Amino acid sequence: MKMLAIIPAHNERESIIFTVEDIKKNAPDFDYVIINDCSTDNTMDICRYQGYNVLNLPINLGIGGAVQTGYLYAYRNGYDIAVQFDGDGQHKAEYLNDMAKCLIDNQLDMVIGSRFIDNAGFQSTWIRRLGIRYFTAMIKILSGKTITDPTSGMRMCNRKTIEMFANEYPRDYPEPESTMRLIRHKRKIAEVPVEMRDRQGGVSFISPLVSVYYMIKVTLAILIERMR
Amino acid sequence: MMTTRFQIILIVGIVLMLLLILNMIRKRKLELKYSLEWLIVLVLLLIIACVPETLTKVASTLGIYSPVNMIFFLGFVFALIIIFVLTVTVSRLSARIRRLAQIVAMLNSYMGEPIEDDLKEKIEKEVKEIVSDKLK
Repeated sequence: MKMLAIIPAHNERESIIFTVEDIKKNAPDFDYVIINDCSTDNTMDICRYQGYNVLNLPINLGIGGAVQTGYLYAYRNGYDIAVQFDGDGQHKAEYLNDMAKCLIDNQLDMVIGSRFIDNAGFQSTWIRRLGIRYFTAMIKILSGKTITDPTSGMRMCNRKTIEMFANEYPRDYPEPESTMRLIRHKRKIAEVPVEMRDRQGGVSFISPLVSVYYMIKVTLAILIERMR
Repeated sequence: MMTTRFQIILIVGIVLMLLLILNMIRKRKLELKYSLEWLIVLVLLLIIACVPETLTKVASTLGIYSPVNMIFFLGFVFALIIIFVLTVTVSRLSARIRRLAQIVAMLNSYMGEPIEDDLKEKIEKEVKEIVSDKLK
């Protein structure tokens, strides 16, 4: 069973070592690949100094395009399982084994690491939780499925889903939209409780003004996905 | 409806535009595929400039009072269509560029190859600082 952790990184010089070492130590069955999405700091130099595996994007593609690069890599190199794992240190590698076990034992197409099953660990701000609840409700109404953490960036896929994402993946804010897409294709999804940390460095790209755009765009994307 | 003088200015202007576009296609600065619509419009304008009566006729056939109104209306619609077609083109291009960049990234990969000595010296201190920060 070949397993890959996809680590999208854009200006993560302070947390990338921490992230990769976490995977090496706590999830040694996983290979990893960093997707350097045109960092303007020296993330790339640090990765090379450390001898990490890096794919270096020539132009900035945003989170969706970067993650898709990882899925494309996983597909072409014959990986059976691939998991997205943020480069900012939010995700804990110790949960990867649980997720893989859940995926294999239940023959699922995707497993989402959810912060809101056990409500343990870093829970994000209340306003973000409100936004996440809204997407949960929306997906529930449109599909009947309950996804407690539809914006979670910690998602593990089997080979079938890797292929699907390698071919087609939303450009920005991809998580809720692509989850809806999987549900529409009758793929089997489950959630596993995980804890997350607050980010270990860098800044979130979601500012107040951007978050309004985010909500509108993702709402539209989910609706359009439902109509396909 | 228009003076002969203006008619001549118009025709000269349109012919110059036509020559400019044709020359740009010749020098491969414009692709024929994307300039075809402009050529068609210019030819239509040339016909109108040579025989202004056609305009009045078309306007009355469409049920528009004055030919001027029709010009504004058609011009606006035409501009919108071109902009829309460009948006479609941009979407397609950006999807292609995205895939291209991803494939370049896979060719342009570093799978643990040793780095240059001068870079190593430069980065060593910084890496140590970051690592010791995290251990605190």
